[in-house]
Amino acid sequence: MTATTARAAMTAADRAANPRTRRARMRKKKSWQSRAILNLLLGIGALTMIVPFLWMVVTSLKSPAELAQFPPTLWPQEWRWSNYSEALRAAPFHLYFRNSLLISVGHTVMTLTLASMAGYALARIPFKGRELIFMSFVAMLMIPTYTKIVPQFLIVKFMPLFGGNDLLGQGGIGWLNSWWALIIPGGLSASAIFLFRQFYLSLPKELEEAARLDGLGEFRIFAQIYTPLIKPAVATVGLLTFQESWNNFLWPLLVTTRDDLRVIQVGLAVFQQLESTSWHYLMAGTTLATIPMVLLFLFCQRYFVEGFTHAGIK
Amino acid sequence: MTDLRAAPSNASRTSDRAAVPRALRSAAPRQSRSGRKMRRAGWLMVAPSIAHIGLWTAIPVIATFALSLTDYNVFSAPRWIGLENYVEIWGDPTFRKATWNTVVYTFWTVPVSMAIAVVIAVALNQKLKLQNWYRAAFFLPQVTATVAIAMVWLWIYNPQQGLLNAALAVVGIPGQAWLADPDWALWGVILVGVWQGIGIKMLIYIAALQNIDESLYEAASIDGASAVRKFFSITLPMLKPATFFVFVISIIGAFQVFDQVYVLTDGGPANSTTMMTYEVYRSAFQNFRMGMASAQSVLLFAFLLVVTLVSRRATRSDAE
Amino acid sequence: MSTRTTRGKTAAMSIAAALALTLTACASDSQGATTTTGGGEVSGEVALLTPIYEGTEGQRLLEDELLPQFYEKYPDVKVTVDYTTYNKLNEKLTTSVASGLIPDVMMMGVGWVEGFAERGVLADLSERGITPESLEGDYSDEIVRAGMWDGDVYAVPIMLDTRFGVARMDLLREAGYDAPPTSWDELLEMSEALTIRAADGTLERTGFDILSLDPRQMFETMLFSAGGDLFTEDLSAPAFNSEAGVDALQFVVDLVHESKVEDIGFSSANADVNPLISGRAAMAITHNSLWTQTEEAAPELLDQLEPFVIQGEAPGMFFGGTLATMAKSSKNPAAAQALLEFLASPGPALAANEQRGNVPALTELLDSDYVKGNRLVQFAMENLDSAKREGGPSQWLEIRAEIKPAVEAALLRQKTPQEALDDLAATAKTAMDR
Repeated sequence: MTATTARAAMTAADRAANPRTRRARMRKKKSWQSRAILNLLLGIGALTMIVPFLWMVVTSLKSPAELAQFPPTLWPQEWRWSNYSEALRAAPFHLYFRNSLLISVGHTVMTLTLASMAGYALARIPFKGRELIFMSFVAMLMIPTYTKIVPQFLIVKFMPLFGGNDLLGQGGIGWLNSWWALIIPGGLSASAIFLFRQFYLSLPKELEEAARLDGLGEFRIFAQIYTPLIKPAVATVGLLTFQESWNNFLWPLLVTTRDDLRVIQVGLAVFQQLESTSWHYLMAGTTLATIPMVLLFLFCQRYFVEGFTHAGIK
Repeated sequence: MTDLRAAPSNASRTSDRAAVPRALRSAAPRQSRSGRKMRRAGWLMVAPSIAHIGLWTAIPVIATFALSLTDYNVFSAPRWIGLENYVEIWGDPTFRKATWNTVVYTFWTVPVSMAIAVVIAVALNQKLKLQNWYRAAFFLPQVTATVAIAMVWLWIYNPQQGLLNAALAVVGIPGQAWLADPDWALWGVILVGVWQGIGIKMLIYIAALQNIDESLYEAASIDGASAVRKFFSITLPMLKPATFFVFVISIIGAFQVFDQVYVLTDGGPANSTTMMTYEVYRSAFQNFRMGMASAQSVLLFAFLLVVTLVSRRATRSDAE
Repeated sequence: MSTRTTRGKTAAMSIAAALALTLTACASDSQGATTTTGGGEVSGEVALLTPIYEGTEGQRLLEDELLPQFYEKYPDVKVTVDYTTYNKLNEKLTTSVASGLIPDVMMMGVGWVEGFAERGVLADLSERGITPESLEGDYSDEIVRAGMWDGDVYAVPIMLDTRFGVARMDLLREAGYDAPPTSWDELLEMSEALTIRAADGTLERTGFDILSLDPRQMFETMLFSAGGDLFTEDLSAPAFNSEAGVDALQFVVDLVHESKVEDIGFSSANADVNPLISGRAAMAITHNSLWTQTEEAAPELLDQLEPFVIQGEAPGMFFGGTLATMAKSSKNPAAAQALLEFLASPGPALAANEQRGNVPALTELLDSDYVKGNRLVQFAMENLDSAKREGGPSQWLEIRAEIKPAVEAALLRQKTPQEALDDLAATAKTAMDR
């Protein structure tokens, strides 16, 4: 990093570091009572949020006979851990898990790369038509999925030169039954661009001006100066993208006909048949499907607190 | 409200002055030589996204507009019918009901969960021992597939054996047949919407809070500002770009609510919880009337566009 | 607005329209562009789209047991299976029809066939030797009709879902009854007698549960019991708002509001436990899958489950089900037909029904061990002659979706049964005339 840029970064760091220590001292003075009240309120709130999950987990451990009882039992009389192994056997979940993982990682990587670049340009580089592009992106979100899905399917099917199609997209199946269809169309969402744009907007201008004075190109300013400063946003977009593709069901079902390309949510649908639902298996399966997301969240946690102030020092 | 809006611009001006070291401020004017290069870089960076969204979203959206003027049942080629779909929607009481329900749903879920989310985000931005666990708890509803978790809510709402009525009974409030009662069903759907919507909004606010310069609080403390005052005159204004995003995305999301309605009430009882997207879905995949579904979507689009443009104007000064 | 921008906009609009139309036109084109290669030879690849046989169990059955038998007979045919769920069947069918990639053999529900046959998606099986007459011996008439459109056969039934009355005999005996009701009067009287409320009026047990199944199916069962029909004989107009229909709806509305036999919200179609199993209902209209549910949750109650036809002006029993159809555009029609006939044949059909606890459509399977071991399925089969199906006009799927809100509006007393059904009939008529 060149001198001016480093200086700007240092100033930012100083600014942040000093008040930090002072604030910390002041915080100690804060009475423990207000802390306790805060903890109590947050605790009640958090508990309310997770009650449905507790119920889901508890249900996943009950037997069908127990689930049929009235009044319902609160706590499992007998812990049926076998629900989990049986649920896993009800569909080729190892395969579905792998597919879901590949798709989600693909979507996340693509989204983070494309959306951050676009968000940066829309936020920090003044060029003609930028406003129009931004508003058009946002407008694209306003048509419901169910309306877009048939045209999207047709684009996949008529993708030229793929899957036996000729130059005009005729004759074959295009991207259907391929990883292309599973990963590319869902690989970017306008909302990710939007979120990045808002975060790049909220950063101070002086860094960029200093960097430009030093003759850094836009790509380097984007990659080396600004993006490290918005790690929380990167983590947020990454998490949301991953979670959305992890839970997606309809699109993978539509664009594939082979079972070895299906995803985890398709597996879970097995437990909900037309005639009846196997609640204990459904809840066990859903619990298992949720665990990777919770782990991912816990992993991303540290990036949420690592913002401007920390990054400035590096 | 006017006070609140006046405050941000003041605060941000102060922040600008405080933030930019004097030496740098004088160096601000850009060289025009790099201007063209910069613009080219800008275009280059947006180009892949324009290509992707152009192909996968813009074409379907354009197709939606075009198909809304046709009678298209997917079995045979679309037939041009002009505005007939729109005329039919105009006289359709179910779609009117769906529009009203969607507006009510959005009116309650968006502001309520945004307010809760911002308060929780600020609370969780303090150093607390259990901070990470609290955050995880509030975010949990967001990560589970709506379809699965909505089924758990079915049990919670169950009039006879549900948790909600059991909890109310403890406090002595008579239970309701929540989802079976047309007076309550929409509220049942709204509650799940609020519950599920808090996590993502909280997360974005927590991320945005990291970008607020702590020296602003420091300065305010020296001036003797109270915590509440700081929240309204520093935190909220500095969160404006994030709030604009959260607001627009939440409105769009709320107007397109589908999964939880599908599982919780299936639009019932007696259409009391049907939503615009639900009608779009029914037109498209139950009635095989893609033209009609497209016309309904265009109306939904128009609603959202107006709301977004208005909110954009309201926040323009800062969120630009 | 200046003329120039207007023209620009018009141009943009027409480009957009052209684009969308080309997109969809491409789709319809390729649909027609199928080459039929000499019909006689049974070979080639066929795609099967199925909402049943899902999950490990179903897949094992289809791919490890059934298809090997099929390949033995037709070694030159290769079957690829696309598993879906009933919930997403319409989305699968819509996108495949729109893109012209229609699976050769498609499983679909009763009520689906009419619309898809009318719009030219399905192959006319009558032309291929599967005639109403050839099916008559194997299936009851109404079941054959479920696969017909405009006088021709388009689908062959595989499994049925049936709805009828079931009583808990232990609870009936406690109250001094030794048999299920045989008329509406008896049904009403017994329902009232079997209902138990706590001192504060809280319903503890309903005498007759009508809320655990979809309101549409509940209404249709009662409509058939009242001697009514969904549509006129020539399928030109709705008939459910006839006197019989209004009587049927009035009967259930009165059960709730006059006799107080059941409260709205006491049970629902997505309740986790059937109230018959938990002892919170003495009688109910229910689905034959109650048997497998009871086997799993409370096997000791199996002996107490007594099925009955809800007898009014006519015996009230309702059936839906899964049928096998064939795409008109199939490139290997002979192979597709072979697969269709194989899946509908006694052995495979029995296995599929057994796996799901459903009712085989083939009359001869009444003697199978599976049917003999499942009292509700056996009862359903014995009474299939008096069962009626839903469906009829080609717009059935659209009309079908409107029935539930109409029935709910009557049950909630937002409308009288007559009003609710008349409004519904008007909506249905509009759809049928479109």
